[in-house]
Amino acid sequence: MKKLKLILLCFVFISGTFSSCDDKLDINTDPLVATSADPNAVLPFVFVQYSSRKVTELGTRICDVSQYISNTFNSPKNGSTSIFLTGNTWGMMYNQILGNLSLVKADATAAGPTSNNVNAIATILSAHIYFELTSIWEDVPYSEALNGQDFPAPNFDKQEDVLNAVVGLYDEAIALIDSRQLDGEFAIQTTADQFYGGDMDKWRILANSLKLRALMLLRNGGASVDSQINATLAQPLMSSNDEAAYLIYTGAPGAQNAMKTIITAFFGPDNESQNVFGPGPPIDNLLRDSGDPRYDLWVARNDLPAPELAFFPDNSTSVLSNNIIRFDLPDMLMLPSEIDLYKAELALEGFAAAGSADANYRAGVTNSLRWWGQDIPGVLATLSEADITGYVSSLAAPTIEDVYNQQYLSAFLQPVMAWTHVRRNQIPVLDAPPASTIGTTLRRFNYPPDEVTSNPNTPANLPTETPMWFEN
Amino acid sequence: MRSKLTWMLTPLLVLFITFSYGQEKTISGNVTDQNGLPLPGVSIVVVTTTTGTQTDFDGNYSIQANEGDVLRYSYIGQKTVNRTVGAATTINIQMEEDAQALEEVVVTALGIQKSTRTLGYGTDVVKGEELVKARETNIVNSLQGKVTGVQITNTGGNLGGSSKIIIRGVSSLSGANNPLWVVDGVLINNSQTVTGSRITGNRDFSNGAAVINPDDVEDINVLKGAAATALYGSRAAAGAIIVTTKKGRGGDGGATVSFNSSTRFDNLFRIPDYQQEYAMGTNGQYDSGSVGFDWGPRIEGQTVPNAPVTNAPGQLRAVKDNGINDFFDTGVTRINNFAIGDADEKMDYRLSVTSLNQNGVLPGSSLDRITVGLNAGVRHSEKLESRFSVQYTTTKTRGTGATGANDPNIIDLGNSFSSTLDQNLFSPWIDESGNQINQLVDNQGVLSNNPLWLRNENKNDRDDDRVFGNAQITWKPLRNFSILGRAGIDLQDDRRLLTNRKGTIQRLFGDFDSDEIRRNELTTDLIFTYANQFSDDWDLTVFGGFQYNERTFQRQRIRGVDLLIPELFSPANAAQAIPERDFTKRSLFGIYGSAELGYKNWATLTLTARNDYSSTLPEDNNSYFYPSASLAFVFTDAFGISNDILSFGKLRASWAKVGNDTAAYQLNFNFNPVTTATGQYSLNNNFPFNGALAYSASNTIPPSNLVPEEQTSYEFGLDLKFFNGRLNLDAAYFNNKNENQILNIPIPESTGFAFRTTNVGRVDQKGFEISLDALAVQSKNGDFAWNTAINYSKVDSEVVSLTDGLERVVIASGFNSVQVVAVPGEEFQLFAIPHLKDEETGRPIIDPNTGRRQAGEATTLGSVLPDWTGGWINNFSYKGFSLNATVDVRWGGVMKSSTVESLQTGGLVTETLQNREGTFIDTEGIIVTDNGDGTFDRRDNDVPLLNAQDFWTSLNDNSVAEPYIYDATYVKLREVGISYTFSSKLLGDSFIKSLTLGLEGRNLALLYSKVPHIDPEATLFGSGADGFGIERSSVPSTRSVGFNIRLTF
Repeated sequence: MKKLKLILLCFVFISGTFSSCDDKLDINTDPLVATSADPNAVLPFVFVQYSSRKVTELGTRICDVSQYISNTFNSPKNGSTSIFLTGNTWGMMYNQILGNLSLVKADATAAGPTSNNVNAIATILSAHIYFELTSIWEDVPYSEALNGQDFPAPNFDKQEDVLNAVVGLYDEAIALIDSRQLDGEFAIQTTADQFYGGDMDKWRILANSLKLRALMLLRNGGASVDSQINATLAQPLMSSNDEAAYLIYTGAPGAQNAMKTIITAFFGPDNESQNVFGPGPPIDNLLRDSGDPRYDLWVARNDLPAPELAFFPDNSTSVLSNNIIRFDLPDMLMLPSEIDLYKAELALEGFAAAGSADANYRAGVTNSLRWWGQDIPGVLATLSEADITGYVSSLAAPTIEDVYNQQYLSAFLQPVMAWTHVRRNQIPVLDAPPASTIGTTLRRFNYPPDEVTSNPNTPANLPTETPMWFEN
Repeated sequence: MRSKLTWMLTPLLVLFITFSYGQEKTISGNVTDQNGLPLPGVSIVVVTTTTGTQTDFDGNYSIQANEGDVLRYSYIGQKTVNRTVGAATTINIQMEEDAQALEEVVVTALGIQKSTRTLGYGTDVVKGEELVKARETNIVNSLQGKVTGVQITNTGGNLGGSSKIIIRGVSSLSGANNPLWVVDGVLINNSQTVTGSRITGNRDFSNGAAVINPDDVEDINVLKGAAATALYGSRAAAGAIIVTTKKGRGGDGGATVSFNSSTRFDNLFRIPDYQQEYAMGTNGQYDSGSVGFDWGPRIEGQTVPNAPVTNAPGQLRAVKDNGINDFFDTGVTRINNFAIGDADEKMDYRLSVTSLNQNGVLPGSSLDRITVGLNAGVRHSEKLESRFSVQYTTTKTRGTGATGANDPNIIDLGNSFSSTLDQNLFSPWIDESGNQINQLVDNQGVLSNNPLWLRNENKNDRDDDRVFGNAQITWKPLRNFSILGRAGIDLQDDRRLLTNRKGTIQRLFGDFDSDEIRRNELTTDLIFTYANQFSDDWDLTVFGGFQYNERTFQRQRIRGVDLLIPELFSPANAAQAIPERDFTKRSLFGIYGSAELGYKNWATLTLTARNDYSSTLPEDNNSYFYPSASLAFVFTDAFGISNDILSFGKLRASWAKVGNDTAAYQLNFNFNPVTTATGQYSLNNNFPFNGALAYSASNTIPPSNLVPEEQTSYEFGLDLKFFNGRLNLDAAYFNNKNENQILNIPIPESTGFAFRTTNVGRVDQKGFEISLDALAVQSKNGDFAWNTAINYSKVDSEVVSLTDGLERVVIASGFNSVQVVAVPGEEFQLFAIPHLKDEETGRPIIDPNTGRRQAGEATTLGSVLPDWTGGWINNFSYKGFSLNATVDVRWGGVMKSSTVESLQTGGLVTETLQNREGTFIDTEGIIVTDNGDGTFDRRDNDVPLLNAQDFWTSLNDNSVAEPYIYDATYVKLREVGISYTFSSKLLGDSFIKSLTLGLEGRNLALLYSKVPHIDPEATLFGSGADGFGIERSSVPSTRSVGFNIRLTF
């Protein structure tokens, strides 16, 4: 009897333990994450993560490669691209941005024309990222990218093919916008679209303008894109600063431009007192004594000499002004002055559809001056319309060199675009930094080791002084 | 389920059939040692049953037994005695000393006690008294040099910092290299939760096991091989550390009261060899703000218009050791333990209270800890016992040092001191209005932080409350059958507050980081044990049971930026508050069983089996089986070898398969809510951003069919005792194969993802361990004795394979392109950028334009793990005097020191004095000219650099790390203790029963090292990371000397 009781007791113990076993084990779901996400929640991540990484990584580190800033920290200007610079940028673009955008796009495509608006935004932003990827590394994965299932080790596409694909993506986005189904259309929240608050007309203008940017590189590389350029010129392009594409930084903590926070985090209250960012030689050469009002807007203590190339400013030199190195400096993706100046360039090269070179040139300078002296969010020192017209009317009819110089100035504080301009135009002519190990300016990044070690299809790194295909 | 139950119950039913009953009676008596003195704590068991008891403080015992039963009396260091119960009810025993200690009982997996002679695997037991001879505040450190096969690293002189222990090398690529910690049969967490990151500056707060109080530890058994830990199944692959706490013992008619007090003083262990000839500055020019950069003019007593800190005209003069002793304090450690215990045949009880108060060498750092331990048991009857133990610890850590980078609070030997900077000038650091004063101002007028402001005004606090303990009931319904039920908990409540006061340069607007972490672990066990002796030759012990383990982690963190009211750390006082929340929960069921079959007490075969069900693995694939087999063979008994030379010999062999499951929530693809958009230099932005929330897809492709990591291992061992135990040798060879490593393998980011979780790769460990101990000298009268013990262990941990197409996996990242990586065919390697070398001569190739060395391609530069480790422990005793000394050795492996890099690039140390003012040519270098026809001209470098500064500061250009990579070998005098124990004659009839006075010292001397300027033990990584071989900005380690008094009433 005693034994029987014991056995029964054991049985109760054991079965009691096991009955709850399955419930106790079925707990492997994270309560703090979602299994799907609304594009209104994913797009803000894309806008802000892209800008946060771009400004801190590229903005503060390659600004002395195109030399609009005299010298900076951890720069690759001397020829060596650190694995953190390359790896962080590559990872941000492919994994954080394109990875998320491809999921948004896949969902939108599945949803059909009612999601054409969000599909187009994801497509335009993806195309822009591919444009920057090829601007930095030349050959990059495109046709086999973002499809780990079929292509676990994507092959790299030639720069010309990537740029053509970028143009194709902009065409695709424009077609999506043109065939929107407004009835029951997906509602893009104004906060989710950090550029245009869901205004698809402006997105269409941006797509066409970015397309022209890509075609300009293709053309420089020798591709036959003249007819595409003419077609693009016939479509609405960016023409005024209210169409500019930029991310607003409010300047409140957590929404501050890193060109300023790098100073407050590591040095002190502001650039003028801490001497972190100084104007590079081309900025000084182009603006000093030119009468260009941007000189006073951008450069403080500008009666003093500029810091030399590869030197930081000090109290005996000029320095970039607190007018622009501020918490609420927006991160600019494209300004209309760039389009005006492409048109000026094309007009000088014989494109009738581009209109007058002179008019476009003056419009470009005007738009740039208005941007820096009137329209830029949080503007501090302002320019009057009279100041602007006074200066613009004083300009001589442009040579192609003048146009290139203005393109360079119009890309001020746009780290990739300024670098692309100087490589495409070779104007302004840049001196090699004194400690350069490659004898020239940097032309490309090396591929990041993470991609090299995990993707056997990564091409061998070329020396960083090797020009890209588009520099042809 | 029904079939499982049948399977489980069948053996139990079979076993019950053999139960028998006799007429029980109470046997009582007294146990003494060879000198006739009462022997408390002697274990008495009725052989082949689970009935047992212990003698009380007077050596008395009583136990229920039947006539014909055999009583076994065992005690550490005494020969075991067997007595058959006859008609008498009193059995008095006089035990004999047994130098061979053959019957030593150790606590093994799941809290099961076993005689060492029956173990088929090696164990290392460290007695509690060894831990308190020169006490450590982190118990992990006190194992240094005392156990074969373990490697211990810590982060230096940081109060309340973590220490990492790995056993027999690294087995896992995914960081699962930390052993399991078990206190009184209950699993406790040894985790370290990091606040911050190495990139943004972090604080090395202690590892979980550090709260175990050495004063309450009876012994620690380090289970190293898989066979030893196999009963822990899927958590056993990295070994286990089994801690048994002290139980109460009765005194002479009453309680035993003991008091143990230590006071120690800590000073910097090693001071860099600072140069004192050249002042702060650059290229020979003085700069008043150039702290940590002494490339200024020769110090000749010249007057400068802006002396450091005062910024007024003053004389430049060198400050001894760069003022390092003016800045760092003398640390003081006070440890007081009070314990009261009692026991009789019915109950035992021990209450212990320990206070630990430390002031660190870093100004403003302190640690205060109170530990209360309670351990009690009651024998309600011969059939029912219950006991519980609980430890509560409350720790307040203040002023923990910042480590890593990009944090203004980091103070290190390389960047915070200068030849002409008098640290005394920094006091006071604050004015009446709360402004920072007495700051360094450079020639440009740029201010930097006053280090005393950083230390005294910015908080680096941690408050940690911890409770762990267990309750258990043992029921012996039948003479040879028992059931044990045990529930254990481990609750941790860890609150941290890091702040930067408004006005801190680089954090001008003030901020705070409030981080609250809870970790809970629950473990329940139900164990059925059956023991029987079938014949005179054969005996069998079988047990089986269940275990349920549940681990919960919760974290809430609020960071506030831009404070309105200074020193008010409320989210409402911050212009921006960034909240974060984290939660994980995981559970594990285990069913286990063990059968131990003994033959004639000289051969023991033990088979164990465990099946685990883990919540972290795929639901239809979450059941895994872990078997082990081990054999102990005492060949001296089997073959009747008994002589004065070889007294005892045992061969042991074991085989086992154990595992490692994975972390929670690895199986699903998720979109994660995001609060931070990351940037370089931690210049992050936060969501909501312009009113928008953000989600991002996981960057990891989840696994489709994950299985646990699997370790298969075998081990052979040999125990030999010579000259009646005066010389003992224990040797082991082991071979582990670790497959199916669960890893987030990096995949090309061009796929849109960064990682894929999968089972890949293999890491093998093989090695051998030898420990030798000897009573080297003993005087005839026994007054003098010299005991010496040497342990040596060599482990090769080889990464055998990763996955196709993957050249290496990053285990941990340091700074400036330095990483710890796994590469097939190698141990974990330091991966860094060397100088470009001439293939023919191996000399660095010089750039003929600059005279500088050039950067090469990043490559592997040596193993970060030691070739071998060892310890040498000596004990000399003469009458009441005792002298202990421990030396420990780490031989081989490499480390990269960023502190040395800073010291050299900053021109702070004496080697940078060479050619300070003359022409500087890098004579090690070679100039190679390419003739363009496949031939090269080579010549000794003759191109001067700009100056000596140019040489030293360009050495690390383009992230070259090679000049700062050193052989990490060291030999240290780890601890010395001298004590005098007063004889009972001297104490006479006073109420004091024993009194010992001692001097103790830890980390006393660096006997050998190739690393200049710093303690070669320093590491960047806390115990929570799997990094080795990289040092940066660590709080300098300390040397401790103090005294100790131990009293028993």
